[in-house]
Amino acid sequence: MLPDFASVSPETKADALAYLASLDDVRVIAGGTDLLVNMKRGELCSNVVDIMNIEELRLLSGDGTDIAIGPAITHAAISAAAMLNDLAGSLSAACGWIGSPQIRNMGTIGGNLANASPAADLIPPLLIHDTVLKIESQEGKREERLDDFIVAPYETSLKPHELLTWVCIKGLPGYREGYRRIARRAAWAISRLSVAWAVREDGDRFVDVKLAIGSCTPMPFRPRNVEKFLGGRKKDDHTIGEAAALVVEEIRRITGDRPSFAYKLPVVKGLVQKALRG
Amino acid sequence: MKIVSFALNGKKVSCEVQDRELLLHALRERFSIKSVKEGCGIGECGTCTVLIDNEPHYSCLTLASKVDGHDVKTVEYLGDAGLLHPLQKAFIEAGAVQCGYCTPGMLLSAYSLLMKNENPSDSEIREAISGNLCRCTGYIQIVEAIRDAAGLCKCKP
Repeated sequence: MLPDFASVSPETKADALAYLASLDDVRVIAGGTDLLVNMKRGELCSNVVDIMNIEELRLLSGDGTDIAIGPAITHAAISAAAMLNDLAGSLSAACGWIGSPQIRNMGTIGGNLANASPAADLIPPLLIHDTVLKIESQEGKREERLDDFIVAPYETSLKPHELLTWVCIKGLPGYREGYRRIARRAAWAISRLSVAWAVREDGDRFVDVKLAIGSCTPMPFRPRNVEKFLGGRKKDDHTIGEAAALVVEEIRRITGDRPSFAYKLPVVKGLVQKALRG
Repeated sequence: MKIVSFALNGKKVSCEVQDRELLLHALRERFSIKSVKEGCGIGECGTCTVLIDNEPHYSCLTLASKVDGHDVKTVEYLGDAGLLHPLQKAFIEAGAVQCGYCTPGMLLSAYSLLMKNENPSDSEIREAISGNLCRCTGYIQIVEAIRDAAGLCKCKP
């Protein structure tokens, strides 16, 4: 049984923003796969605005490499979208791994971002696609880079009266992309470690490499020093080994040593090497 | 309270639900559909699985108000004790049912797969039932049953 609350299901973004502006102690619900679990565990709120009936939040549009993803699109729909398979393969892959078929039919990209778990599967791929979030309230619009949007584990810059309205990503044509996660079992498990990558190569050289690591640090992050190190370098075991060691160093710099690192760091090293080798 | 109208196992129905009411409880208490069960209650075990617009969903994490205007199917859509669906028969014949608690949800995930894919591979079957836990059978017989049924039956929306 859920704690008591009142819910509304607006059909337009304008109505949703009006509800968010006028209702006290209000939460947005999309798929409900995080919010309702938290409420069953005792989180309370008086009002819930269900955004899943708002068509304009479920649109997907692409213009060359600029792609705008509606926040209420489900993981299942993202993993099936041909445009994203072509231009954001790591995101498609992550959406195909998250949770279980039921979770993928329910949960949304906006929900995964707003929940901001350190182990969120979609965040590493979204980081390498230079994601910018469009946010609206009745007072106006603002944009924020994903790197700034997540301010702490499970905490974003979204205010209660604000609504995430677009997830804007840069498509990466010509990149070899992927997402790999390690969890206690293949299905329906929280990622213990994850790596998203997009690599552009020219013969035996790295031209441009984007990497993001999840579940290791309080927030998924891009080791930008390692990306810079790899740009233009020869693709060989020496470079790849050095890059993997730099990633581990960067994780240690961010968090200090942790008991789980005896397991995690060698695994991250292996994942990064595999990603770079292709 | 809200009025929700939806198709339930092919019939139009309508009822009043509380704002916080879960689809799981609406189906069990307002429509006496007891095949939809509450296991973990947090979307991990899959015994509350129903099909919404022919895709599996956890009814324990779905507000009843969300199905207004949609199509909901439970295992009763497939068949009953008097007239079992070939998929249900295949489960019995393969020994895919032991305690039976996961079976309605498992059947619905399998049915949804067979609607889209008449000849799934073993890995597609495993993927399709990966959101439904079975602690008795070890899954081998369930996968077998779905594979056996795939050639025999049409799973209609």
